[in-house]
Amino acid sequence: MSDTSTPGDVEPGHDHEHHHEGPGYATPQAAIEESEREQLAYVMSLYVGTDVDAPDFVAVVDLDPDSETYCEIVDRVEMPERGDELHHFGWNACSSSCHMDGLERRHLIVPGQRSSRIHVIDAKDRRNPELETVIEPEDVFEYDLSAPHTVHCIPDGQILISMLGDADGELPGGFLELNEDFEIEGRWEPPGEIEMNYDYWYQPRQNVMVSTEWAAPKTYYPGFDLEDVEAGNYGRKLHVWDWEAGTVEQTIDLGEEGQIPLEVRFLHTPESTHGFVGTALSSNMFHFWRDESADEYRAEKVIDFESREHEDWDMPVPGLTTDILISMDDRYLFGSNWLHGEVWMYDISDPSNPRRADSLSVGGTFGEIQEVQGRELAGGPQMLQLSLDGERLYWTTSLFSSWDDQFYPEEAERGSVMLKADVDPRRGTLELDEDFLVDWGDCPAGPARAHEIRWPDGDCTSDVWQ
Amino acid sequence: MTSHDVTLEWPDGRSRTIEVREDETVLEAAERNDIGLPFGCRTGACGTCTGRLLEDGDDALTHRRQPRVLKDRHLSEGYVLLCLAAPRADCRIAVGSSVHTELVENPWK
Repeated sequence: MSDTSTPGDVEPGHDHEHHHEGPGYATPQAAIEESEREQLAYVMSLYVGTDVDAPDFVAVVDLDPDSETYCEIVDRVEMPERGDELHHFGWNACSSSCHMDGLERRHLIVPGQRSSRIHVIDAKDRRNPELETVIEPEDVFEYDLSAPHTVHCIPDGQILISMLGDADGELPGGFLELNEDFEIEGRWEPPGEIEMNYDYWYQPRQNVMVSTEWAAPKTYYPGFDLEDVEAGNYGRKLHVWDWEAGTVEQTIDLGEEGQIPLEVRFLHTPESTHGFVGTALSSNMFHFWRDESADEYRAEKVIDFESREHEDWDMPVPGLTTDILISMDDRYLFGSNWLHGEVWMYDISDPSNPRRADSLSVGGTFGEIQEVQGRELAGGPQMLQLSLDGERLYWTTSLFSSWDDQFYPEEAERGSVMLKADVDPRRGTLELDEDFLVDWGDCPAGPARAHEIRWPDGDCTSDVWQ
Repeated sequence: MTSHDVTLEWPDGRSRTIEVREDETVLEAAERNDIGLPFGCRTGACGTCTGRLLEDGDDALTHRRQPRVLKDRHLSEGYVLLCLAAPRADCRIAVGSSVHTELVENPWK
């Protein structure tokens, strides 16, 4: 911005030119233009709940097609203790801190979902990351919180983690804040703002955060019990927060069609108030947006995945839409129907009216493709990650150790896989790349599960813009 | 401190008898003996360490704190949390990862 700019051209305090000294990219489009093809992936890998006597680990997967070790796990960062259930993780800094000179996207914050232990990994050497420090469960329980889930950085160097339970694994959950030295700063919000918690996403320019609901840890930890749904022990609400104040401004009950709202994503463009949330049990997609005239957020079901009959099942099989993501150009919503065995992409150029572009029937209960390179898939598509340029979609197959045991028991014996589809974002098509397979069945200590995927330099589910 | 002989029995027929003090949990004693049993939260919320008591009556083991994850139907079927359970008598316990998978079933199949 030049000194002669007319006041009013930009919001106060926001530098539109983004003198780009800090981590990340100036804009979502810059992430598409400036990023290189992903050469490595970090993948949460786990043994918890099996008889393999080994700790969970972060897998470093080689994604460089020209490499001799393409599609192999080339490094494993083992956790110090067993029993963590590595699940979701995040960076100490992303594009939301791109104004912060000297701050680097360097440390991975890796929580144990069951153990409540929080690990910090130094990934300065992208190919050989090392465990740096550990926050022990007892130190987390002191804040009457447990079960860490989503990790996002706060623009000034702090880290915010959604916590699904209290110290006993009951409700309420809340949010734990870490400072830039990876020490617990305290509870982020005043206690009592929410009961259930799960995922969250924030859109700082709109001063808004949206959080979702799974259940109390003691409810979902052992597996899915339909009695708990009938008893109202699973969530169906969205919470709309004042991001700066850390208080809930509005709660939206999504109703019967909105049971178990899990992953929530705002569009990447920082101006947008639009986003999507997948309600896993009801297997629907909700679009939410700020209704300016009513001065509040609204949510509306825009995609409904029907349950399907299967001869081996007594009841119709729900899709179980457990993960979604939005392409960096905000054109497509991708998602997985874990029980059906489907990955799909919808055109969301009109967010109120998503249009099915393409899908792949792979793995799971109904997938047309049940093996890749002779490897039985033994599970459905689950956690997704998309290349920043939107041309390669990857996914793993494990949801949560105890839920896997319930719906895909063979995954414990065979391990998870990571698969890839080539995406044509101009034609709106998906094509399975059968040359790509990463197999957690071959891990040295025994078959492992694989969950969330991240790229070393930001991805479609990590980066936020101010 | 009084201790008791606790026999851990895996589904494949393997078994190990270890001495467990009344002031320690079965999981702690197993770790002391380098036996790798599954576990997770160690607070009674997650059920990963679930075992099943293979004795009549339920007074051979006592939970140190409330086994919150176990529902009444689980407790009446003899399921115990090894991260919280300390012995009060010699006993046999079914262990291994298959035990915690018995807590829930696929509700639609």
